[in-house]
Amino acid sequence: MVGKHSRHVLLALALVALTPLFASGNPVIGMDLLPTLSYSAQEDSWTDQVVANLTLTLSSKNEGNVRGEVVLKGNNLSVPTSFDDVVHKAYFKARFPSFRLTAGKTRLSWGEGMLFNAGDVLYGDNSASVSLTQAELRSTTSWLASVNYPLGYFSFAEAVVMPSETQTPTDLFLAARYYTTVKGLKMEAGYATRKPLGEARVHKPYLSLQGNVGFDWYLSSSLAIPEEGAFLEESKESWLVSGGIFYLQRLPHERSLTLRLEALTRPFGDWKTHSVKDADAALLFYPELSLAYSPALSFSLRSIISPLDLSARATFSTIWNVFEAFNLVGSISCDAGNAGDLFPWNSTGSSLSVTVGSSWVF
Amino acid sequence: MYRKLPAMVLMTLLLFAIPSALFALSSDEIIEKMDNMATFDTTFSTGSIQTTDRFGTKTSLFKSWSQGKVDSLIEFTSTAERGQKILRTAGSLYLFYPDAEQLIRMQGSALRQSMLGSDISYEDMTEEKNTLDSYTAKLEQEEPFNQRSCYVLTLTAKTRSVAYPIQKIWVDKESFLVWKAEYSTQQGRLLKTMEVLQTFETDTRVLPKQSRIEDKMKKDSSTLMTIDSFEANPKLDKSIFTLENLTW
Repeated sequence: MVGKHSRHVLLALALVALTPLFASGNPVIGMDLLPTLSYSAQEDSWTDQVVANLTLTLSSKNEGNVRGEVVLKGNNLSVPTSFDDVVHKAYFKARFPSFRLTAGKTRLSWGEGMLFNAGDVLYGDNSASVSLTQAELRSTTSWLASVNYPLGYFSFAEAVVMPSETQTPTDLFLAARYYTTVKGLKMEAGYATRKPLGEARVHKPYLSLQGNVGFDWYLSSSLAIPEEGAFLEESKESWLVSGGIFYLQRLPHERSLTLRLEALTRPFGDWKTHSVKDADAALLFYPELSLAYSPALSFSLRSIISPLDLSARATFSTIWNVFEAFNLVGSISCDAGNAGDLFPWNSTGSSLSVTVGSSWVF
Repeated sequence: MYRKLPAMVLMTLLLFAIPSALFALSSDEIIEKMDNMATFDTTFSTGSIQTTDRFGTKTSLFKSWSQGKVDSLIEFTSTAERGQKILRTAGSLYLFYPDAEQLIRMQGSALRQSMLGSDISYEDMTEEKNTLDSYTAKLEQEEPFNQRSCYVLTLTAKTRSVAYPIQKIWVDKESFLVWKAEYSTQQGRLLKTMEVLQTFETDTRVLPKQSRIEDKMKKDSSTLMTIDSFEANPKLDKSIFTLENLTW
């Protein structure tokens, strides 16, 4: 039954895809072929598989006051069961004399941070369960309508509405932010309110700052205040603070070394030094070291460290841009921790994986 | 008669020397003229960046708008980086990645990153045309380059915030076009060279149509920057150099 349903979804998507394909005239296809060898410490066995990711992007021409884009994504490991599984983006933007309207399925980036971003009140995704081999660590999209209202050259206000999870008009997801730059300091302040299914409505104010003091720094903070219940206690527990620094050091022979260090903390979380869970980890670090050996060849070491249970996930990867838009990629990932830790070596999934593959955009 | 000879020689030398000294340009005046010749009220251009190494050539296409000495906007139009934009305004540089709908503000060291794998950094691409704000200039000599009479100047950085501590440039005595540049470290180690291969004329000014940038630290690598179309002083909407337009 699932197979039949999937075929219907794929057929519908193919029809959706073909229409703009002819109109657009500029489809862009992204293809990743990633053969992977994985070791499971729990089962003491090796497995191999080929991960094939396919992305089809259809964009309108970059002209006029209305623009749009459809991005379809899929891979060979997951069977799509709904329209949303394949439609990564499908939106239009319309430019009115004094404001801009965006509607459809897309992503809005609020706050600052590559992995940890307390200011991301729209998606609220600060999970540590993420593959560090991806270029884009957070890429969630959602159905929304937003209005962007410029307030000067480098300031704007933005309001967003998303469908409710309960399909009740009074339970809509609403959010707004103000973005400005003052003397070298970027400031962003906003608020979101959502009604999770079966729970009380939650109000999320946030503040995000970014500046430079010899190195780039950024800091974000947010709260989730429930409308009902022990709101003071729950607000305290929900307080999130994330921050990071970024620095690029030029090396001899025109090479460069970049360092990014991010941290996420829940100040009123559980600070005891024992096994922690992803959703309430009181402190997490994300260090990233990248060496651009040449403009075409780079190496990077990324890790998520949970200092309270002394576990970590680390990924070493390399990208070689051999030809135009064609890359050879390789990575080694592993988890290091005890059973019950955030990143246990003996997990049900892969403890160690080695990937060598390629990616091409055409 | 012979007693008067030294005086006559001196007089003759003075007669030739005084006018040339009066009309000779100082190093700062040459740099100002050079900057002014490269600066328009507004411009719109399209072009390409071709990076060649031993595996072949990679091409990125772009559109570019500029206003005065500081404001510039670059939009990439080639397949792999379509829609990526760079906005440079006084003191700030912003990047927009359409895939992630992400607006990134770059400051400090981040500006030194290579742009799209070329031998050009974000800093190079959007450099402000106020050379004397960042460098002190010294006129070294005059010599021909590409059969053109040129001033040869050495620029020494005033601050550490610039991409290259030392620049040696060959400036056309007539058009004030920079025909050649050598970019070096403080210790004098040559990092990059730039050479203009073709020029075009617009609004009575001579501008580079094609330039080759070579990274001296890498073998068999060069970047060719070509201007395919250029419009001087077009009427540009003020909103072009804003965040609203960057994210559009």
